[in-house]
Amino acid sequence: MCSIIKYSIGPFLYVSLACSQIKLDINTIPDEVDVYLDGLNLGTSPIRNERIIPGAHIFEIKKKGYAPLKYELIVNPSKAVEIDFFLNPVHACKFKTKEKGLVFELNGEHYWDVDNIRLDLEAGNHTLRVFKASELIDEQNIKINKPETFNYKEKKTITNK
Amino acid sequence: MKCFFKYFYNISFWPVFLFCLSCAQFRGPKYPEIIYNNKQPLISVKYEYGEIQIILPLQYDGDIPENILFKVFAKADTMNPIISILQEAPNEFRTALPQGSLDFTAKTNMIKIIPQDENFDPVSVRFKGIGFGRIVLPTKIIRSGQLIISGKTFLKNDASILPKVKVAIKDSEDVLFNTFSNDSGFYQIAIPGESRFSENLRIVVGENLIFKPLSKKLTFENSRKLKINALLGPSRAMRGPLYITEKSNVHFKKGPDIGAEILFLLNKGEVVSVDRITPGSYHGFIEVEIDGGKNIIMEGWVNRVDLKELNLSSIRKVIK
Repeated sequence: MCSIIKYSIGPFLYVSLACSQIKLDINTIPDEVDVYLDGLNLGTSPIRNERIIPGAHIFEIKKKGYAPLKYELIVNPSKAVEIDFFLNPVHACKFKTKEKGLVFELNGEHYWDVDNIRLDLEAGNHTLRVFKASELIDEQNIKINKPETFNYKEKKTITNK
Repeated sequence: MKCFFKYFYNISFWPVFLFCLSCAQFRGPKYPEIIYNNKQPLISVKYEYGEIQIILPLQYDGDIPENILFKVFAKADTMNPIISILQEAPNEFRTALPQGSLDFTAKTNMIKIIPQDENFDPVSVRFKGIGFGRIVLPTKIIRSGQLIISGKTFLKNDASILPKVKVAIKDSEDVLFNTFSNDSGFYQIAIPGESRFSENLRIVVGENLIFKPLSKKLTFENSRKLKINALLGPSRAMRGPLYITEKSNVHFKKGPDIGAEILFLLNKGEVVSVDRITPGSYHGFIEVEIDGGKNIIMEGWVNRVDLKELNLSSIRKVIK
């Protein structure tokens, strides 16, 4: 990061920026995650002794098996800033039903009508809506904590296998 | 060997292929996208703030005030100090400020030093700040406030204004400052505050005139300002014809005779009001200042060669 500023905007500005730079440490759970600052790859976490200037910055964290994270932060003038990111895992789940003629909708934007499907779901709460002949027949929240298989029975609460 | 692999391939490929195909059917299709729930990410941001330490060395030139009030202003705000500290006159002023409290792009930060002593004037130190860390500013010299001497120059004879009269401040015979009265006869001189401790400080007015200059000792006891109006030349009590001494140490004698008692030695520019003339001497009167600023008239004799006639109107022309 320092070298990019140094060679791209000239020594004079670099000197003035250096005076106002802030020490940056980044931790992630899990670690060894690619960290991007304003589109530039800082390396894998944990990041230590990087430099950042006060103002608005965009952090992006990407790791396979976890929901990507994009975070905009206005960094205050300070001596140092330490940021901890907790990534949300994505679990491989299965969804089954023995009912026929049902259409399933998840979070208002994902649809399927097969009776057996594999889903990659971000951990946390999801909203499931079930339609039959274009009519809403069921709506419920499902909570994903781990890789699971769900069996859906019409008008009954879905149960974990 | 080759035949063996071919045979193995023929007998193993199709069962494996069919097994995988049947398993895939059993597992069901995979939804093409990862389904996110747009959960707010868990993020922790911790800031570590530094502090700014300011060190301003102070040096006192002469007098030292008892206490000093320091006010620190930042970012061109000269109304609201970010910190005020009253302390005994220190050798260096130290304070600590929170990070980010100073402007570090320009010299818009200021320390105002206000000595708690009427003989000192407040002084300011402007400086460029830093984000955090230590600033050591150049040494600031604290001097007592300037002494101001002002007044007007007049002709004593008719109290008219005398313009462009030389005014000098002297310490013994050393000339410290010079100036001239303006067209309104006004003059003003500012001298360093430490001059108040000089025992031989005096003002001399009228050195550029033909009259004897006015010389007065300066004492600043209760005030830093003195007003001295200088009345120059002969007073109205001196009636014509007027003569003036052309050199110093002119004998002012009790009688016209050689060997007569000498009353005074007159300086150059002393005015003599003449009423009688002898072939070698003039009899006349001089003004002598006594204690309290009062003048008395004394009579005596002066050799004719030591005097020349004084024409007040020509003096004005000479001055102008």
